[in-house]
Amino acid sequence: MIEYATKPFSDDVSIGVLNKYVGGWFKKNFNELTPPQQYAFKLISDNRNVLITAPTGSGKTISAFLSIISKLFDYSLQGELENKVYCIYISPLRALNNDIYRNLLQPLDAIYDMIRKDKGVEVIKKNIRNVTIGVRTGDTSQKERHEQLVRPPNILVTTPESLAIMLNSQKFVENLNDVKYVVIDEIHELANNKRGVHLSVSIERLTDIIGKDFVRIGMGATLYPLEEAAKFLVGYNGAEPRDCTIVDASWSKQLDIKALSPVKDMINTDDEAIERAMYKELNSIIKKSKTTLVFTNTRSGTERVVFNLKRRFKYDEEDIAAHHGSLSRESRLEVEDMLKKGSLKCAVSSTSLELGIDIGTIDNVIQLGSPKSVTRAVQRIGRSGHSFRSVAKGEVIVLNRDDLIECSIMLDSMIKRVLDSFVVPKNPLDVLSQHIVGMSFTKKWDVDEAYALIKNVYAYHELDRADFISVLNYLAGNYVGLESRHVYGKIWYDEKENAFGKRGMYTKVIYMLNLGTIPDEVAVNVIMTGTNRWIGNIEEEFLTHMKPGDVFTLGGRLYKFEYAKGMKCYVTDAHASSPTIPPWFSEQLPLSFELANAIGAFRREFGLLVASHIKKNKVKRIAKAGKIPKELDEYLGKLPVDKKSREAILGYFLEQYLFAGVAPNDRLILVEQIESGGDPELRSIVFHALFGRRINDALSRLFAIELGEMLDHDIGIMVNDNGFVLSIPKGEKLTNKMLGDIIDDLTSGDITNMLRLNIRGTELMKRRFRHVAARSFMILKNYKGWKISVGRQQVNSQLLLKAAESIDPNFSVIKETYREIFNDVMDMPRTKEVLSKIKSGELIYQLINTQVPSPFAQMMITFGQADAIMMKERRKYLQYLHNLVLKKING
Amino acid sequence: MKLNKDIELLDGMPIAFIKSLDALVIADSHLGYEGVMAKQGMLIPKVNLKKLIASLSDAIKMTKASKIIVNGDIKNEFSKVDQEEFNELYDFVKFVKEKGLELILIKGNHDNFVERYKEPFKLQVYRQEALLGKYLFFHGEELPREIATAEMLIMGHEHPAIGVYNEAGRKIKLRCFLYGEYEGKPLLVVPAINYFAGGTEINIEPKDGLLSPVLKSSDLGKMHAIALGYGSTVDFGTIAKLREAAHR
Repeated sequence: MIEYATKPFSDDVSIGVLNKYVGGWFKKNFNELTPPQQYAFKLISDNRNVLITAPTGSGKTISAFLSIISKLFDYSLQGELENKVYCIYISPLRALNNDIYRNLLQPLDAIYDMIRKDKGVEVIKKNIRNVTIGVRTGDTSQKERHEQLVRPPNILVTTPESLAIMLNSQKFVENLNDVKYVVIDEIHELANNKRGVHLSVSIERLTDIIGKDFVRIGMGATLYPLEEAAKFLVGYNGAEPRDCTIVDASWSKQLDIKALSPVKDMINTDDEAIERAMYKELNSIIKKSKTTLVFTNTRSGTERVVFNLKRRFKYDEEDIAAHHGSLSRESRLEVEDMLKKGSLKCAVSSTSLELGIDIGTIDNVIQLGSPKSVTRAVQRIGRSGHSFRSVAKGEVIVLNRDDLIECSIMLDSMIKRVLDSFVVPKNPLDVLSQHIVGMSFTKKWDVDEAYALIKNVYAYHELDRADFISVLNYLAGNYVGLESRHVYGKIWYDEKENAFGKRGMYTKVIYMLNLGTIPDEVAVNVIMTGTNRWIGNIEEEFLTHMKPGDVFTLGGRLYKFEYAKGMKCYVTDAHASSPTIPPWFSEQLPLSFELANAIGAFRREFGLLVASHIKKNKVKRIAKAGKIPKELDEYLGKLPVDKKSREAILGYFLEQYLFAGVAPNDRLILVEQIESGGDPELRSIVFHALFGRRINDALSRLFAIELGEMLDHDIGIMVNDNGFVLSIPKGEKLTNKMLGDIIDDLTSGDITNMLRLNIRGTELMKRRFRHVAARSFMILKNYKGWKISVGRQQVNSQLLLKAAESIDPNFSVIKETYREIFNDVMDMPRTKEVLSKIKSGELIYQLINTQVPSPFAQMMITFGQADAIMMKERRKYLQYLHNLVLKKING
Repeated sequence: MKLNKDIELLDGMPIAFIKSLDALVIADSHLGYEGVMAKQGMLIPKVNLKKLIASLSDAIKMTKASKIIVNGDIKNEFSKVDQEEFNELYDFVKFVKEKGLELILIKGNHDNFVERYKEPFKLQVYRQEALLGKYLFFHGEELPREIATAEMLIMGHEHPAIGVYNEAGRKIKLRCFLYGEYEGKPLLVVPAINYFAGGTEINIEPKDGLLSPVLKSSDLGKMHAIALGYGSTVDFGTIAKLREAAHR
């Protein structure tokens, strides 16, 4: 049963479960128990499975480990502590592993010291030994590995991938026979992706290998729903989920958060001034605080902020540093060290500092632009405040009006403790393929026994037997002729005998070298046409969005895309004034569905107030002075925003209503057909569908397919979190009748199949197929000592896709590719939900025709996402659009 | 589609039929490709030979041809004949013989060892080029020699294709024949029949990125791209125009 711990145990009870040395050490070092500790000491000492969620600085690590350490010292005091692994700790980050190692080594030594002083010579006589701890990751040297084999550490600190390898190292597995505890840290980074699914299968396999169960402990920052995370942690034992107690201390830190607009008028202030104001605001916060952590949404944004802070305010290397995934490990470690020492004034990061790496005391977090999810905002802002008694302090600086509303609602949700939900990927067949190969090495398996084992894993609890068998058939090479199976087959599978097992000498090497779920990243080289001069790198995904003639920025300069060959992108100098593809296109995270809904609800509630205010007071113009009518200010006053922001929000809504008479919300999809503006040959239709990019990606394709068939024309698509824009030829026009027909079609037709056909052959499909094929060992990243370049993998995967499709469109590798696209990249379940709501009338739509884009459409027309820091050209165009609107309203 | 009185480009297929020779012309089948890839860790299922046999069967039915001319690179590996290749070569030859057709091979750069099998397979192999009727067949990795006596030149090697952008900006790649002139003689470049060969996008790739010295030294812009796909074969106009269209 999954249950919540509701009542904390008293300090006496909690300390009482520890042995006297461990308890003594705790009392000597801490004045009180933190909220998670008040539950966890007792629960873990009772051998309960526990999921602990709590913010940084709440003593989470100690809460999970102290009872374990106490138990191990009990063994030691009885002279029974052996050279065996009793506890496995797994985190997704090597850096975190090293932190944990250091952070546990110190108490272990201190406690052992106490025992030695107390017991004297008895220590030697009774063989009372210190509890040992060791790290085993990809970085561990051969020598250390060997030592660990001979003398395994009592607490083994490792990563998901290293654990998977250990399971197939016959000698090492013997050291795991007495594992009593498995601790998974940063569970929020694992539960929502394939890496986590991979890990949970490894853990299930471990219970099978050692033949008994162990205590499972999960730790993480805020995530929702916690029951889902708990199920992910413990899995099933046959039909029933294993028991788990949830310790929810997520909200034990107080929050002090606010959204700030650096300027009053975010439309008509020029870039320079906005930038100046933003950096001024930023600097004043940095100056007031001891250490500030700034989050941007992109790596390039991180670099720009560091550069600008240094240039504008004369900070130097010792004061401000960048920390993101593209930097070398050394430079990241250096920054972390400076943070720990407290010598750094400010660190700027994209996502890399979001996780629980030890970075010392941060007293303020600033977020630039929307982080797109409440959970992420909680995590980032939660990095500030060094103990559970201190307040997490954070500011979000916004630079455009959509961003402002998004962030205001996000912070409001944070205060109301409403989080967005995560989803565990269900039944990924590529991860399953890997584990079946891994399992085949240990013994000959009965198919049903293996199927039952896999079904104990939460992600696979509902796995279809047919899918399981199709993976066996795929792995056995049953898709090629008998004579080639020695090349293609990785296991043998006998249908009659209902059994499978290992095949081939080399398969194990392939398995060890290619295991894991993180796809090889590709940097595409950008090269000047004709000169072969290398300019820099762009992401592969970014390349997939470009067509020849497109202009993009790289390293602050504009280039025109000419053509691509393999992993090379050829460009020429662009003489255009602005890019046609925003640089952050592939980097930004999609808006969460819950947050999107909350924004929609705000639009509706506040929209009503604004509309009635307009009617009641016969408002016809936008007033210059920023006086906010009382009832409106009362409503806005509930949001954690400053006054400038409240004025901006009101102005935005007034404009929308005065111009269009209507605003989209969570119950109304506004379809806005625009007469002029933009491309003279195309007509833009803006679908104000505030559902987040994952849903809009699917919706926009569906609408474009339908419209394209009606008009017999290809439809241009631009997707964003707030909606999507379709472009049709100027001569055509969308009518109410057409829109109705489209919606009828979509709500009654097989949209999954429509999308399958639409996605087939796209770059998205090719790319995802490569990832899935590599995870399924169909394309090897590493073969007979050769590292196979990603470019080569990509080229080959296209051939592979072609071949696989011609064999069977339900081939497990293809099936998984579609599953990944529909469920992980897009959100088909919710897309269907949206469509069925339209059908039932719960969600209505309205078609309007406008001369120029309405205020709410403008941000969408001038490109999808908003990068808070780089928007020069966009802003000019926006100003132009805005003036058109004001002209219409004010005459 | 009819290229002229004597040559027909079979609809939607990378196959030309020459009436006066009563022969089907294909190029670059690269047999054994999947097997060779599998040895490099790329487990591509075998489809090439199956697809090749299927399209040739159709072509034979349509034209009642009595010969098949493979204009180079019948197999994939450069240096040696690999076991996988041998098996596929064997199956292919068997198929042709069973259909009662004559098989004529022009050697390509991938065919170095094919000659060893000339005897057992009873193949008609031409080393460099072959003047059959009024046509000079050559693979294309080197310049042709006996131009003077030929009325028309036919080559493979380049795997030609074109890249076309649709209104929504998505690129579509189509295999194509190239039809133009070399040294004053008409030249036909046959696309690769290998199932996996996507081809070189002649209108997008810069000229110095092309493989064949023949194309590098001819007026590429004036050549017509006769593209195939979706069951038909259509003249898309000159490479010069297609190049312009791709960069607009």
